[in-house]
Amino acid sequence: MATTTGVYHTSYRADLALRHTRLEYVRLALALAVVAALPFYVSPFWLHVLDQIGIAVIGAIGLNILVGYTGQISLGQGGFLAVGAYSAGVVATKSDLSPLVGVLVAVLVTAVVGAFFGLPALRLKGLYLAIATLASQQIIVWLIVHWDFLTGGVDALVLEPATVFGWTPTGDFDWYWVIVGFATLATITATNLFRTGVGRAFVAIRDHDIAAEVIGVNPARYKVLAFAVSSAFVGLAGALTAYWTQILTWERFTLDVSILYLAMIIVGGLGSVAGSIYGAAFMIAIPAYLDQLSLRVSADSILATDLPAIKLLIFGLTIVLFLVFEPRGLARIWQRAKDYLRLWPFRY
Amino acid sequence: MKLRIGAVALVLALTLVAGAQSRSTAPAIKIGAIFDRSGATSDVGVPYSDGVLAYIAYINSRGGVKGRKIQLLSQDTGYNVARSEAFYQQLRTSGIVAISGWATADTEAFKARVAADRLPYVSASYAESVANPEETPYNFFIAPSYSQQMRIALRWISRQNPGQQVKVAVCYSDSPFGRSPLEDGKRYIESKRLPMSYDTQCAMRPGGTDFTAQLTRIRDSDYIIVQNTSAPASTLAKDAARLGMRARIVLLNWAADELFVTLAGAARTGAVGIQPFGTTALKVPGLKAPTQWLQSHGGGSIHRKGIHYVQGWYTTAVLIAAIRRVVAQNEDVNGPNIKTALETMPAIGTGGVTASIKFSKSYHAGQRGSRIFRVTRGRFRQIAPLTTP
Repeated sequence: MATTTGVYHTSYRADLALRHTRLEYVRLALALAVVAALPFYVSPFWLHVLDQIGIAVIGAIGLNILVGYTGQISLGQGGFLAVGAYSAGVVATKSDLSPLVGVLVAVLVTAVVGAFFGLPALRLKGLYLAIATLASQQIIVWLIVHWDFLTGGVDALVLEPATVFGWTPTGDFDWYWVIVGFATLATITATNLFRTGVGRAFVAIRDHDIAAEVIGVNPARYKVLAFAVSSAFVGLAGALTAYWTQILTWERFTLDVSILYLAMIIVGGLGSVAGSIYGAAFMIAIPAYLDQLSLRVSADSILATDLPAIKLLIFGLTIVLFLVFEPRGLARIWQRAKDYLRLWPFRY
Repeated sequence: MKLRIGAVALVLALTLVAGAQSRSTAPAIKIGAIFDRSGATSDVGVPYSDGVLAYIAYINSRGGVKGRKIQLLSQDTGYNVARSEAFYQQLRTSGIVAISGWATADTEAFKARVAADRLPYVSASYAESVANPEETPYNFFIAPSYSQQMRIALRWISRQNPGQQVKVAVCYSDSPFGRSPLEDGKRYIESKRLPMSYDTQCAMRPGGTDFTAQLTRIRDSDYIIVQNTSAPASTLAKDAARLGMRARIVLLNWAADELFVTLAGAARTGAVGIQPFGTTALKVPGLKAPTQWLQSHGGGSIHRKGIHYVQGWYTTAVLIAAIRRVVAQNEDVNGPNIKTALETMPAIGTGGVTASIKFSKSYHAGQRGSRIFRVTRGRFRQIAPLTTP
C-alpha cells in the first residue's frame, strides 16, 4: 500500500492498521463532520436523497463484498433487497415485535436465502453464475407477487411508522440519523472483514480459486459464506427501505435495481468499501439532480416530458464512460488525486 | 478547451432559463401531477396527461386564478409505485397545494400520507377504496367509481337478458387497478340476486400481448367485462374474435375509447362501453374548449387524441374550480381549504361531457352514473342515457 515517504511498518499490527498517518485521521474527522453537518444545511428534497444514498451505501457494500471482493457476479441484488424489505414488512404488519427484531429477522432471512441462491456458485462462474442469479431475482419477485397472503401480492404493503424505545422517527431528518448509523456500522464491519481470515479467503478466491484451494481455502464454504454475508448487508438495506418508506411494492425490486447496484460498484470501484459509498452517492444523486432540474424547466420541455428516457441515456453513458476511462471507478480517481496532491509540486 | 467553454455556456444558459421562468409578479399556485407517459398504462396516460397540461396552459393563458398563475410540477413515473413514491416525496417538500394523481396502486399506497400531509389528491384512479372520506379524507376523483361502473355493467347485462341465466367473465389488468371492482361486482350480483355466474379467472398481466390462454378458460362466457386500458382491451377483443368466441365485450371507463375502436379492427363491432365521459364524437358544448385548444396548439384532431384528453382536462378543471373558490373567499390557498372547497362547492357542469360533478362530505366520487355506448359502424354511439345501478 502506498503511504507517505518515511512511514515504515515495523510490526504486523502497524501493517494491518487502516490508517497510517495523522493526515488520514484528519481526513476521516473531516468526512464525519461533513456527514454530521449535511442534514442541517441541505433542502428537504436533498435530505430525502441523502437517506436514499445511505440505504444504497449499505446495499452497495453488500454487493461489493460478493462481486468486488469475492469475484462472484450477482444479478440477484433486487431480489435480495426484496427479501429483506418484505421480511421486515411482514414482521411489522403481522406481529407486534420491535422493528429491531424486524431488522434482525430481515438480515438473517436474507442471509439464508442468499446462501441458498448462492449454491449454483459452487459449480458456475462468470456469465453462467450471472444467469443463475438472474433466476433468483425473477423467482423472488414472482413469489412476492403471488404469495399475496403474506406480501399483499400486487397491492402495496403499507407499514405503520416504526417505534424503537418509545421514539418514532418521523420525516427524513430523523431517519437520516438512523440510516447513517446503520451505514456507518456496515462500513466499519465491511472494512474490518477484509482484515480477517474470512475476508482474505474471499479475496483469494477472487484472485484465483484453484490457487486459493491449494493454499487451504475451502472454495465451497467461502463462496456460500460470501453470498450469505453479502446478502446480510443487502437484507439490512431492504429492511431500512421498508421501515423508512413504509410502502412496499414488488416494483421497487426489479432487475433494474440489480443493474443499478452493479453500476454503483462499477462506477464507485470494485473491491473497495469506500468506492461503494462514492458509487452509491453518485448513482443516486445524478438522477435526483435530473428530477430536480426537470421541475424547474417548463412542464412541456423535453427534459420534463421525456425524463425517464433521458435518465436511462445518462445512466448508460455514465457506465460506458467509466468503463472506458476509469474501470476502477471513483475510488481510483480519488486515490490518484490524493497521490497527486501528496507529491505536489515535485513528482518522482 | 472549446468543449469546456461550450459546457460552461450550456450550464449558464440552463440556469438563466430556470431563473427567468421562476420570476413572476404574484406567487404562482403550485400543483403536483403524477403521470404515466411511458409505462403499462401509457396508451391512455399520454392523452390524459396532455389534457391536464393543456388545461393548465389554457387557464394560465386566461390570466390564471385571479392573476395568480398555476404552476404544474409533473413527472412521468411510468406506472411504477416506487418511482411515484420518490416523486411524491419530492412534491410534498416543494410547496404544492394539491396533487393530480394517476394509478390505483400508488393512490391507495399514498392515501394515509396525503391525509397526514393534508394534500388533496385528485386521482385518475376511480377505486372505491378511496371514495370514503372517513377513511381517505383527502382523496377525490370526478368519475363514478370502478365498482359503480361494474355495477352499471352488470345491471345492463341482466336487463338485456330478462329471466335468463348468463355467464359473465371479468378480464382485468392484474394490478390493484384491475382488481379494484372485482369483489364489489360479486357482492352486487349476490345482493340483487342476479341470475348470472361471475368468473374472475381472466387476469391480464400488464404489458401482455397475447391473452389466448386466459380466454380459453372463459371460452363459453356470454359477456366479458374488461377492466383495463384500451390497448390491452383491443388485443383481448381480437384474441377473442380469433378464438371464435361469441361473448360480447363490455368495456369500463379506461378501455372504452377511440383508441380501442382503432386498434380492435373488426373485433370492435358490438363492443359496449360504460363511459362516464362519453366520446369525442358527441355534439356537446363541453367539448368545444378542449377541441379548440388542441387544434390551435398543434395537437391535431380531438378524435385522434381521444376522450381521455377531455377527461384530464375536466379533472383539472374541477381542481382549479375548487382553488378559484378558495381564492374568491379570500382564504389561504392550502390543502385543507381546497378540500373544504371541493366538498362544499356546488355541482360543476362539464357542458354535457359528463353528468354534473358534485362531491359531498360523505362521498368523494364526483359522479354516480354513466351513459352506455356501443360500437356500431366504426364508432361508439350512445345506447342508454345516464344510468345508475
